Amino acid sequence: MTKKRIILALLGIFTVAMLVLGCGGGTSKQTPSSVAKNEKQVLNLFSWADNFSPEVLAEFEKKYNCKINYDVFANNEELLAKIQAGGAQYDLIQPSDYMVSTMVKLNLLEKLDKSKIPNMKNIVKTLQNPSYDPTGDYSVVYTWGMTGIVYNKKYVEDMPTSWADLWNPAYKGRVILLNDNREVFGMALKKNGFSNNSTDKEQLDKAFSDLKTLAPSVLAYDTDTIKQKFIAEEAWIGTMWSGDASFTYKDNKDIGFVIPKEGTLIWADTFAIPKGAKNKELAEKFINFMYEPKISAQNYEYIGYNDPNEKAKEFHSQEFLKDPMLKVAVDDVNQGEWLKDIGDGITLYDRYWTELKTIK
Amino acid sequence: MKKTWRTSALFAYSLAILAFLYLPLLILTLYSFNTSRINAVWTGFTFNWYISLLHNTRVIEALTNSIIIAAISTFISTVLGTMAALALNRYTYKYKAVINGLLYLPILIPEIVMGLSLLVLFSQTSIPLGKTTLILAHITFCLSFVIITVNARLEGMHKDLEQAASDLYATPWQTFRYITFPLALPGIIAGALIAFTLSIDDFVISFFVAGPNSTTLPLYVYAMVKRGISPEINALSTALMFATISLIIIAQVLQPQHTSTKKGKE
Repeated sequence: MTKKRIILALLGIFTVAMLVLGCGGGTSKQTPSSVAKNEKQVLNLFSWADNFSPEVLAEFEKKYNCKINYDVFANNEELLAKIQAGGAQYDLIQPSDYMVSTMVKLNLLEKLDKSKIPNMKNIVKTLQNPSYDPTGDYSVVYTWGMTGIVYNKKYVEDMPTSWADLWNPAYKGRVILLNDNREVFGMALKKNGFSNNSTDKEQLDKAFSDLKTLAPSVLAYDTDTIKQKFIAEEAWIGTMWSGDASFTYKDNKDIGFVIPKEGTLIWADTFAIPKGAKNKELAEKFINFMYEPKISAQNYEYIGYNDPNEKAKEFHSQEFLKDPMLKVAVDDVNQGEWLKDIGDGITLYDRYWTELKTIK
Repeated sequence: MKKTWRTSALFAYSLAILAFLYLPLLILTLYSFNTSRINAVWTGFTFNWYISLLHNTRVIEALTNSIIIAAISTFISTVLGTMAALALNRYTYKYKAVINGLLYLPILIPEIVMGLSLLVLFSQTSIPLGKTTLILAHITFCLSFVIITVNARLEGMHKDLEQAASDLYATPWQTFRYITFPLALPGIIAGALIAFTLSIDDFVISFFVAGPNSTTLPLYVYAMVKRGISPEINALSTALMFATISLIIIAQVLQPQHTSTKKGKE
C-alpha cells in the first residue's frame, strides 16, 4: 500500500511541477530558467556551434556571476524561424550580415545601447558601418571573412590574380566551387566587373554562360568537405572562405589564398539583440566584454578567425598575426562587397543554378 | 542441389542488404578512430576524438540535456501509456476502434508536421520554448509507442490468473499489484526503453520546439556539421548509435513473445 502512495504522490508532484513550469510563462514573468537557477542571472545565447573559446565564456560567467546558456543553430534561416515564432527567449543572437538587414526590416532586433558597449570603438573602421546596417545601431561584427581563390602551389604554378584564372584549361577536373547559389554567381558576376548583388538579366546571362563553360572543369560544388578535398590534393584550385583557407593551410602548407583583383564577397557574423530580450543589459555587457583587447585576442586565437579588434594586436601571438590567410582578408577588406537581400531577383539565380548543376 | 544453390543465393542477397544498411555506419565508426582530421585519408588508430569529446563542456551539456529530457519524458509517457493500454485492453466502449486508431495515428503523422504543429501550439499558448516544451513534445510522440508495446503484452496474457486472484478475495488493487503488473512488466519496460531511445534520437520535432538551455545531442551534432565534418562528430555519432542499439536490443529481448504467458524470454 505504501508503494502505491509513493507512486501516486510522485505522479502528483510531477503533474503540479509540469503545470507550474508550463503555465509560468503565460501568467507571470517567471521563466523556467529563472525558477530553476533562482538568484543567478542568465544569459541565453543563440549562436553557431563552437563559436567561442570555452575559457572566455567561463571567465565572463565568473566576472558577472551569471550563467550562459549557449544554444546552437546551423543556418541563418533556422535562426530567423526561431526568432519569428516567438516563444524562444534569447538575449543575444548571431545573425550573418544579410540576415541583420532582414531582421531589422521585420522589426525583430533591439537597438543597441552604444554607451553600454564602449569597446565597440575598438573595431576596425571599415567594419563599423557595413551596408547591411549602415548606422551600426543593431549589430556589431564578430567574425568576418572573404571568399577568395584557394590553390595548391604544387599544381598551380603562377599565383592566380583574377577569377578568370579558374577558367584555365590546365585545371580541368580539379576546380571546386562553393555549393552556394549567390557565391557562385557572385563570383562570375565579379569576374565580369559587375556587382555580386546584380539582378540585371543581361549581366546574369553573361555570368551564367561563363559558368557553363567552366562547368566541365568543375570537380564538385562543395562547401562541407571542401577543406578535405584540398588537403588531400584532390582539388587544385577553387573558391573558399578565408577562415576555411586558414584551417586548410594548417594541414597542407602548399595551400595559397588570394583575393582576386576584381573584388569579392565579404561576409560577417554579428552580435545582435532580439526584440523582447529578457536580459538586454547582460547581453550588452557580454558584447562589451568580448571586445576587451586581451579577451578578444584569447578568443580569436581559439576560434581561428580574423580578430576585428584593432586594440588586440599586441596580445596576439606572432603565429596568428602572420597567418597568411587571415592577413589577406585584413589587407584586402576594402575589396569586399556585402551580399544584399535581392528580393524576387533570387528566382533567376535559382533557375540558373538548378540548370548549371545539371551540366556535367 | 537446386535447393543449396537457392539458399546460398538468398544468403548472399541478405548479406548485400545488410551491407547496404550497415556499411555507412561502419565507415562512420571507423573514421571516428582515425588520427587524421580528414575523412578521406586513414593515418592511424586513436581514441583522441573520444577523449576530446569528454573535455568539451558543450557536448557534456548537450548530453545532460538529452538524458534529463529523455528520462522525464520516458517516465511520464510510460505511466500514461501503461494506464491507457490497460484501459483500452480491459474495457469495451463506444467507437473503440476509432479511439484506438486515433491513439496510434501519431506514429504515422510525419514528424515535421507534428513538430510544426507543436511549435504553433506552444507559441499560441505563449509557453516559453525550452526544456518544458521539449519534454511535452517528447511525451506526445512517445506515448503511442508505449501504448502499442504494453497493449501487445496485455493481449498475450490470459485472464485466468487475474480471475483466480479475484476468486481468492484479492482486491482489485492487489490483483493489479501482484498479478497484472508483474505479468505486464516486460512489456512496460520494453515500452519505456523504446520511448527513451526515441527521445534521445529525436531531431525533427526537437528542432522546432527547442529553446534556451535545451540543445540536445542530435541538435548539437547538426549544428557542428556547419564547421565541417570532423572526427569528433563521427565519435559523437558512434557513441549515440551504440547507446541506441544497446537499448533497442534490451527492448527486443523484453518484447513479449507470441504465446508465452510467462515473463519475457529468460
